[in-house]
Amino acid sequence: MTTASSSTPGWSKVQIPRPLQRLFDLFPLRAYEPNDLPERSQHLTFSSLPTLFIFTTDEDARLGLPSFNPTCLRWQTLLRLTGLEFRVLPSTNHASPTGALPFLLPARSSSTGSSSSSSGALPPSTSPSQPPPPSSSPSPPTPIPASKLLAYAQSHANPAKSSHPATSGDRLFPSRARAYVALVSNHLRSAWLCALYLDPARAGLLDALYLRPASSSAAVRAALRRQLRKAAGEQILDSAPAAGALRSRPGERERERERAEQGKGAPSWDWAWQEDGTAIDPRAVYASAREAMAALASLLAESKTEWFFDAEAPSEFDAAVFSYTHLMMQYMSDGEEEAGALGKMVQSAGDGELARHREKLWRFAWPEGNGEAKEGR
Amino acid sequence: MASFWPGGSPAAGVADAPANRGPTQMLDEHRLTPASISKLEVHGAPNTRRALLDHVLGPLVADSAAPGTTLGQVLDRIGDATRKLSRFDIFKEEGFNVFLSEAPRPEGAPPADRTDLEVAINVKEKSRLVFTAGTDFGNAEGSAYTNAIARNIFGGAETLSINASTGTRTRSAYNATFSTPVNNNPGLRLSLEALRSATQKPWASHEERLTGGNVRLAWLTAARDTHTLSYASVWRQLTGLSATASPTVRADAGDSLKSAVTHTFVRDRRDNPMLPQSGYLFRAVSELAGWGPLQGDVSFAKTELEAQSNLPLPLRGASLGAGFRFGLLYPLPTGYSLTGPAQPSRINDRFQLGGPTDVRGFKLGGLGPHDGADAVGGDVFAAGSVSALLPLPRTGPDSPLRLQLFANAGRLVALSTKPSAKAKGKAGKAEGQDRDGLALDSAAVFKSVKSAVGELGNGLPSLAAGVGLVYAHPAARFELNFSLPLVLRRGEEGRKGLQVGVGISFL
Repeated sequence: MTTASSSTPGWSKVQIPRPLQRLFDLFPLRAYEPNDLPERSQHLTFSSLPTLFIFTTDEDARLGLPSFNPTCLRWQTLLRLTGLEFRVLPSTNHASPTGALPFLLPARSSSTGSSSSSSGALPPSTSPSQPPPPSSSPSPPTPIPASKLLAYAQSHANPAKSSHPATSGDRLFPSRARAYVALVSNHLRSAWLCALYLDPARAGLLDALYLRPASSSAAVRAALRRQLRKAAGEQILDSAPAAGALRSRPGERERERERAEQGKGAPSWDWAWQEDGTAIDPRAVYASAREAMAALASLLAESKTEWFFDAEAPSEFDAAVFSYTHLMMQYMSDGEEEAGALGKMVQSAGDGELARHREKLWRFAWPEGNGEAKEGR
Repeated sequence: MASFWPGGSPAAGVADAPANRGPTQMLDEHRLTPASISKLEVHGAPNTRRALLDHVLGPLVADSAAPGTTLGQVLDRIGDATRKLSRFDIFKEEGFNVFLSEAPRPEGAPPADRTDLEVAINVKEKSRLVFTAGTDFGNAEGSAYTNAIARNIFGGAETLSINASTGTRTRSAYNATFSTPVNNNPGLRLSLEALRSATQKPWASHEERLTGGNVRLAWLTAARDTHTLSYASVWRQLTGLSATASPTVRADAGDSLKSAVTHTFVRDRRDNPMLPQSGYLFRAVSELAGWGPLQGDVSFAKTELEAQSNLPLPLRGASLGAGFRFGLLYPLPTGYSLTGPAQPSRINDRFQLGGPTDVRGFKLGGLGPHDGADAVGGDVFAAGSVSALLPLPRTGPDSPLRLQLFANAGRLVALSTKPSAKAKGKAGKAEGQDRDGLALDSAAVFKSVKSAVGELGNGLPSLAAGVGLVYAHPAARFELNFSLPLVLRRGEEGRKGLQVGVGISFL
């Protein structure tokens, strides 16, 4: 049965007779000003600045502090390096056009709706100048997914502010870097996922970062926690050959359990069992992360500048490494390295090159010094 | 011995059956003679608990024992009791049969001053397990469903209904409802429901997934009004945004838990809900979400009123109808505070207005604030309609077909702290934008609600008028209208020309 909404396309294809069309053109007899958009929309989607939606807290967002999600932090760092003026707001993957954060929403403009003006004459961030009157823009801006962020930033950033045209020449990564990208995107990432999502000892951290902002309900958080853990386990296993995580064979689970029951001093969290019966060995994951960090540290030691690959200014690769080393040091510095104290692992890699690199890039991207997040979260 | 049909109208089955005329006349003549019930039997209810029948039929015997009870009163009470039994929905409507006979008097007993009656009620139980599949029409939606009902599970008219459906807008919906009369009273039912669904909301470019449950207590008053008190806890996930989804929808995407108590009152005095010719309807829904012990992620008070009145015209089959709806959402602080900061509403809590079943001549969600193509809803609305139903010359007043002339109007406004257009000059620009978070303090909430309610009367309401055909099927009402929008706000989506409406509740 056709409802009015679904019948629309069918009718619009029919050629409307001329007299009827003339009648239709008379209506409506009167059109008032548009309705104002709701308060949440006014507050969250109207700004004179483009808005980067990332995983963060309300408070950190207001101060522009680093995101606690590595992918978001990587893009946030890069955008800051380009000199683009933007604000950040907390969001969820559901909001993103790609299904994953981050994404950027250009400021609404009253005239055309698409902010394609490449003049770069964005108002300074300090002025709270009111954006154009809401709801009058016929077409709201389309969101920019992460993959197109740099192109957008380069056409919109204030060149004066971008003293470090870091990303101008490089496409995605310098060709030499590509070989090392897997170290970050597989080994460091797997270790981060394993420590944050699968280690029961960090359930509190996972709750604080991802679950409490989603809902105040314990039942909803429990359902989300299960989904997150499952997804994290799958992603680790996907990169398992590279990251050294082990799949188990049937029967191994029982043997593991027996060994644990015999009290052979096995730590409480030895294997992270997935629903399909495979398991992840955290020790293997952490060991391969340590190797990766050592390789990155020596790579950094070889560089003539303070950044990777002899670059004059931090590149995307620097941002990618930073996004993990920074968060590992900030959130995972307690405990033993074998038990997933990834922060300590970063510090002890090589001669501490990675820790110094993280410090430097942090100061560089957050020169105003407000990148200092509160400790002991 | 007499037999009659208590379920339907007095005329049904009795007056037209010549065979029954003698006994009926006999009964009429004897309505004033004293009578009592000496014995009452129920046949044909092997699966029904005795307590359930006792609760309905016990008072019947007890009341009839009082001296001065007449035969007429006994018959009326039997009629009431069988109507009550039929409300349990475990007996077949056509299966009721009541037999009266005079109790045999013991040998040599003194002549009694009243007639002792023996009553036998025959019933037929409905199937205890029913599977159905079919298609369904809700408001502006068609769907296919499969349904399993287990009736009278423990013999006390308990029902378990399990339902799975998929439709034009509802991608999937599963729910299981267990329902039971409280204290064996058919007018008081308690039900528990668990549900999971995914529904597309094309007017706002997203999909909403619900997982949750509710407890519901429904009762029928002596005046035939229904009250429903329910508590629901639902996890809502706003996801599956289309590529063109507006910033407003993106800002509201994600998870939220709504924990709310709702009271619904319905007084339906219309002669026919699908094609009312006379009578009125009043419906009031009040909801409290998130406040105090309710917890959850959203907190507000919400109320919705609906009134409809119909007046027959001198011409048979012609009538004049008027309807009015009003709704208001008031953001509340969480916890027990009344003055703390309150979060402004989300899209899945706000009202939508417009469409073939409410304000005709507008697209679904066509009224109110729009962000690009998305109808993002509002916190306050008012809508009204006037319509005349006229019988068609060929088919006449007895057919379910009518010609309809209508005009309807509505306003849907969102709460906003943005200074209104008039006040913009003096109020300065920074208000609202500079505050720390999204939350509003109680004074700002009150001010914005007041200004939104005031905005309802600012200028003419968005208005459409038209003419069309109405077909009232017992299951749903179908409308085909030609309409034109006369007044609207820019951004609102009027619909010029033909519009089809299918639904069970129209403005």
